[in-house]
Amino acid sequence: MAARFPAIRLVAGTLCLLLCAGCTVRRVVFNDVVTKEQVNFIRVGQTTLPELADHIGAPDEVTESEFGVVALYNWSDTKSAALDFGTIPRLFFGPFVPTMTLTKTGITPEQLQVVFDPQWTVRAYVFSRRTTEEPVVWFWPF
Amino acid sequence: MLFFKPLAGIILILALVLTQGCIVTRGTIGEPLQEEAISAIKKGTTTMAEVVSSLGAPDRIVRGNDREIFHYYYYDGKSPAMMLLILNFIRMDIKSDNLYVFFDRNGIAEEVVYGKRTGNTKFRLWPFGD
Repeated sequence: MAARFPAIRLVAGTLCLLLCAGCTVRRVVFNDVVTKEQVNFIRVGQTTLPELADHIGAPDEVTESEFGVVALYNWSDTKSAALDFGTIPRLFFGPFVPTMTLTKTGITPEQLQVVFDPQWTVRAYVFSRRTTEEPVVWFWPF
Repeated sequence: MLFFKPLAGIILILALVLTQGCIVTRGTIGEPLQEEAISAIKKGTTTMAEVVSSLGAPDRIVRGNDREIFHYYYYDGKSPAMMLLILNFIRMDIKSDNLYVFFDRNGIAEEVVYGKRTGNTKFRLWPFGD
């Protein structure tokens, strides 16, 4: 009985290793998320650009539009996973075994847009279209 | 004394073995914004030429509400990676600092908006979670 456990552990460990073999997980995070709760303090017609910057920092971009000056806050979370089926054969047959990799990447660029009137008070603000689902760390691209 | 040399060798070999497959990358765009130069900008007195002489030419010039706006930025990215033979983790955190100087029609600084985020950029390897 005692001798069986190390064997089971060895098999389980090898299986885990094989399941992870060739896996690559990448993540790129750009700036911190700005949440709706963080911008609850904004009062249209009252809050100014310096007050906004005091609460959530300076915008990443300021641009002029037909509706007035727009301050843009950008952030994103990119997740990518890959599975290379050539990894294990490469361990046995050397580096010339060709690669066969499946990769999936999910990028979620997000934006808060704040429009100002000529007196630099907030005229309107809106979040970009948000997906309800987070990008999945999964390699299947189809 | 003779005892230390093998110990130092063992520590060095252990450190080399433990850091095998590790990659540490750092990328920046622009130069860090000098906070002393920013705090020296006085609303209502500092001119456009003085701002340029202390901070350099702006990265972007924007026009908004009939005003000139100078935009200075700095990006900092830190990316650790662990490339083992069969499993690889790569993560990159990027943050930005932004400075806007708003000038009135006479070229005098009217407002200064500065935000620093790069102080919170960290080398984080684990790609899962927040």
